[in-house]
Amino acid sequence: MIWAKEETLPREQLEEIQLARLKETARYIYEKVRPYREKMDEAHVRPEDVRTLEDLRRFPFTTKYDFQNNYPMGLFAVPRDQLVRVHASSGTTGKPKIVGYTRNDLKMWTNNVSRIACMGGATGHDIVQLCFGYGMFTGALGLHYGLENIGDLVMPTSSGNTKRQIMYMQDMGTTLLVATPSYALYLAEQAIGMGIDPKTDLQVKIGLFGGEGMTEPMRKEMHRLWGDDFMATQNYGMSELCGPGVAGECQELCGMHINEDWFIPEIIDSETGEVLPAGEKGELVVTCLGKEALPLIRYRTGDITRLMYEPCKCGRTTVRMENISGRSDDMLVVRATNVFPSQIEAVLGQVPEIGPHYEIIVDKKNHMDVMEIKVELIDDRLLDSYGALEALERRIRTQLRSVLSLDAVVKLVAPNSLKRFEGKARRVTDLRKDRE
Amino acid sequence: MIRQLSIFVENEVGSLARITTALKDNNINLRAISSFDSPEYGIMRLIADDPAKTKEVLNQLGFAVKITEVIAVELEDEPGALDNVLHILANAGISVNYIYSFVLRKNNAPLMILNMADMEVAESILVRHGVKVVGEEELH
Repeated sequence: MIWAKEETLPREQLEEIQLARLKETARYIYEKVRPYREKMDEAHVRPEDVRTLEDLRRFPFTTKYDFQNNYPMGLFAVPRDQLVRVHASSGTTGKPKIVGYTRNDLKMWTNNVSRIACMGGATGHDIVQLCFGYGMFTGALGLHYGLENIGDLVMPTSSGNTKRQIMYMQDMGTTLLVATPSYALYLAEQAIGMGIDPKTDLQVKIGLFGGEGMTEPMRKEMHRLWGDDFMATQNYGMSELCGPGVAGECQELCGMHINEDWFIPEIIDSETGEVLPAGEKGELVVTCLGKEALPLIRYRTGDITRLMYEPCKCGRTTVRMENISGRSDDMLVVRATNVFPSQIEAVLGQVPEIGPHYEIIVDKKNHMDVMEIKVELIDDRLLDSYGALEALERRIRTQLRSVLSLDAVVKLVAPNSLKRFEGKARRVTDLRKDRE
Repeated sequence: MIRQLSIFVENEVGSLARITTALKDNNINLRAISSFDSPEYGIMRLIADDPAKTKEVLNQLGFAVKITEVIAVELEDEPGALDNVLHILANAGISVNYIYSFVLRKNNAPLMILNMADMEVAESILVRHGVKVVGEEELH
């Protein structure tokens, strides 16, 4: 099922829509968002300079630092009483990025998620188990509204409590699972451990995965555990752009269709900022069209991908993006949560008992990510008491959890035992790729 | 009271040996040593004949070291000797943080190292009950 006719428009018609909306967005953001107006003035570009889609290249980028510098709502284009919702995602420091929605923004977001759900095989008659954590993150509520909108029955089971999740799957006859790919694999293995074979004892036939990338080995594993007829697709989004609903895989599994009438993608060289020719790999930059609360022009996502303009067998004409193959910055995705090492550094810097050096190790255990942070104990006053050392570990862990919304294992090590770097420090070791 | 060194050691092959090598190379004699099994890291406690120098040597090697005071009591080598000491402390409401033992060579007497929150009060109570508390000079 194709949800919206815009997904199948000939390219010229699609570009007409994009150009009209881009002109309007440029005018709107210049008038309403002071920080971006200042950037435009500095770059000597005016809203009326948009004559063709190519003119977008003349506009300055928006980055995660714009969110940081204008925290919490300095990039918003509407007064607070026009907002009906805010969400948040990880910022580069202790403060998150706050994103907001008007009533119209929610409608647009919901419809975009509906499109993605249909791309992945949702029918409007599915029984959905939604295992994303509800809260300030956009994933859960985004999918929730989008799936309700097409007529699906949605069970907001949220994340965690795996045994209960499996009970609902059995008793309610869940047919569609929304989760991170890691959690879907974990769920299947736990079910098998309980004597339930997901292939034959459960009715789950569709998986809409997001929050983190799904690699091809993971998809293969998904079929081994959930069955050959299990349709496992992934979708892409980020809170700054709206949340989920930016792009999604169709059942041809040849990349994620971008909802181009609302999001204009560009691929740039992340070093020079130059736009790369179609088909080349680089950093994805997205311009949001028609957003009222938080219009964004040329937002640097930091995600590395490639765009494919060739037509797709599914009938959609929209451009497809490849699975994200990396980041242009040092952001990590751990259990579907974005983590910047700078956030961790900000927390550790507040703890006088430990030194300035640290090491982050991310690995997988039972399909789930685990993050360990090694810190050097420098305050020898704590020595001679295991209780004091354990209390220190606990305190660091609690502070990290409050900033990252994520549990990390904190490990004290001896002073001078962590690697020192002369140039740029490489403090992150990601062992997950080796495990696949 | 005597001075003890508490050293942070990671639970990995050779970490205790690094400490003993450093002491050997600096001609420092060990009197007592104590370390427990623990999953991540441990606190190695030792009594050496020159605590200040030992700390300096280990600090230079990058170890986190703390000098703490402990009480050493000399016991009769007979059943019930330790029981007596612990009851004196318990009756005074003093809880022991940790305890370990070693033998003093010259008179073969067993020595107990004790650490508690208020060392001075503990020491005076023990002395008052006739327990022999050993000073640092008697160890070496």
